[in-house]
Amino acid sequence: MKLRHIWAVTRKEFNHIVRDRSTLILVLFTPTAVLLLMAYALTVEIKNVPLAVLDMDKSQTSRAFVQQITAGQDLELHAYASNMDEIELMLMRSEIKAALVISPGFAADMQSLIGMPMQIIIDGTEPETGGFAVEHIAARAEEFISSVLSRQLEAQGFSVESLQPIDLRIRTWFNPDLKPRNDLIPGLLSMVLGFPALSVALTLAHEREHGTLEQLLATPIARTELLLGKIIPYILVGLVNVIIIPIFSIAWFGISFNGNFALFFSLSALFMFSILSMGMVLGVFMRTQAAALAVSFLVIFFPGFFLTGIFFPIASMPEIARLEASFLPGTHYAIITRGVFLPGVGLEVLWPNAVFMIFLGVIFTLIGALFFRKKLG
Amino acid sequence: MTPIIETKRLTRDFKSVRAVNEFTLSLASGELFGLVGPDGAGKTTTLRLLAGLLDITEGEATILGFDLKSKAEAIKPHVGYMAQQFSLYGELSVLENLQFFAELFDVSSQDQRERTERLLAFAGLTEFKDRRAVHLSGGMQKKLALACTLIHEPEILLLDEPTTGVDPVSRREFWNILTELHLGGTTIIVSTPYMDEADRCSRVGLMYAGKLVECDTPQNIRRHLEGDVVEIQAEDWQKALEAVTGLDGVREAQTYGESINLLVDSGSKRLPQIERVLKNSNIGFRNIRIAPARMEEAFISLIRKMEGEG
Repeated sequence: MKLRHIWAVTRKEFNHIVRDRSTLILVLFTPTAVLLLMAYALTVEIKNVPLAVLDMDKSQTSRAFVQQITAGQDLELHAYASNMDEIELMLMRSEIKAALVISPGFAADMQSLIGMPMQIIIDGTEPETGGFAVEHIAARAEEFISSVLSRQLEAQGFSVESLQPIDLRIRTWFNPDLKPRNDLIPGLLSMVLGFPALSVALTLAHEREHGTLEQLLATPIARTELLLGKIIPYILVGLVNVIIIPIFSIAWFGISFNGNFALFFSLSALFMFSILSMGMVLGVFMRTQAAALAVSFLVIFFPGFFLTGIFFPIASMPEIARLEASFLPGTHYAIITRGVFLPGVGLEVLWPNAVFMIFLGVIFTLIGALFFRKKLG
Repeated sequence: MTPIIETKRLTRDFKSVRAVNEFTLSLASGELFGLVGPDGAGKTTTLRLLAGLLDITEGEATILGFDLKSKAEAIKPHVGYMAQQFSLYGELSVLENLQFFAELFDVSSQDQRERTERLLAFAGLTEFKDRRAVHLSGGMQKKLALACTLIHEPEILLLDEPTTGVDPVSRREFWNILTELHLGGTTIIVSTPYMDEADRCSRVGLMYAGKLVECDTPQNIRRHLEGDVVEIQAEDWQKALEAVTGLDGVREAQTYGESINLLVDSGSKRLPQIERVLKNSNIGFRNIRIAPARMEEAFISLIRKMEGEG
């Protein structure tokens, strides 16, 4: 293996990246753009759910109850309905996502502590929103009933202070506010930083389609020299993202970074090496850029999305999926990013993942070199 | 002397097509060998096989004593291959392309400086050295490709239609370069669709349907032409052409400017007949004679013969 040959290819490829605008954009800006998009799309908080109320009790208590549940930004009172047909119509037109039906005798039953006769109707086509409305109404109903109860107890001469409900305090470590973004964004890094793998997968097919491979194969360059020479510039450009994206995440989303940046940077370089080698293996097998693109999505991006544990916990996956997950560089890198960002752990915990990423990178490079033939046709 | 390139029944199949069929050739060091043949005859495949870019289906080949099947990589440093299509890096400059190939062929930096300067001058690209290759004219791209092929001073040059799509002036310059290299002792195989180029080679091979059907010096190939060429310089060449086409024994009629070249089975027998026809039709002519055959006529007559047999 001659360093001189690797360096010549690296320099040429680097010039290609810098001078070809579409490649430059794909490699430098897409990761940040996708991160931004996904971070917003995936952490949307449910707010202002439109609600219709059919109040058949028409009492002061029922009105007070409606007022209480629609206070704040969670539910929004869309309209009072006068019958069930109106509710159905509003649901069908998607004007409301949930409806509350207060039965006659609501106030009376509550005074006599029998219960709160009511019905909640939700739009099953959007179960998340509907479920949110149910939870919200249930919580408010509990508050409402306990306030009614304490008022009655007070009226009967009991001291309400002595009424002590269970005081359960849940403490969440590392992400005390349980902000989904705090956990999601470090995980997403493993996906978006893998984007240059796409360009790597395309690079051999690009040379094949432009005829430049023919001239290249007529030179004495060795296969590993060619493959490494092509991967290295993408690692270098990818590392620019490793600096930009955490800074961006901290500045824009207010994510805390509690680990060691030098460690994060070196482990990111290992991740780049392993995922880009994976892209290169695809490039070795695919003859056209279109095929390389399609297969990259199937092999790198979809599994990167579903199997690396960013969204769905690996522990609850079937055995075969767990096995596949362990062979994806993204799985190991997601553990690293989450570990370094939030609890700020170091190599003493993350070394097995680091070792596995090196192992994957070497294996992929060897497979690529083994199957890449210096022949046309 | 042992041959520098030797192939024995070299064969290459693509799926159902036999692109090169039992190609046998022995080339001495320093030859300038021209490969001609109609489109699809297998010229490009033959050159790619010799450059080690394709697997050999059957047969064998040795280059500089190395077996092409097992030692293709050992041959590469000694060979300069130029593909038919433009296959350099368009987004790199002229200089960067030259440097890239120099690095891959392990040319020392001192040699690189010297040769780059010389090759740029020789290809007339010195003033364009910082221009991106994609912005060069077709002829300049071809010359740059040749320069990249020559940067490691290979003993063997394999050039696939290096002058196709190049203007006549550049074409002449290109051949001056090749002749210089030939005189310097480089062994060259060049494929070409131009018969005047074939005439400049020391030996010419004619390929037809994957086979090497004729292989000789240009003089001998011309001599092998069956029949003669009758050249007519008529006052009205269009009328003359109409009158003589289809006459007994006239196989082929070609016009070269004002003159008409007829390929006939026998010059001595047909010349008086043609003369009579022209006189009877009142078509004036300045001159009619039996002319020496050109490469083109020899080539066409050989192809006709092959088509007749096939």
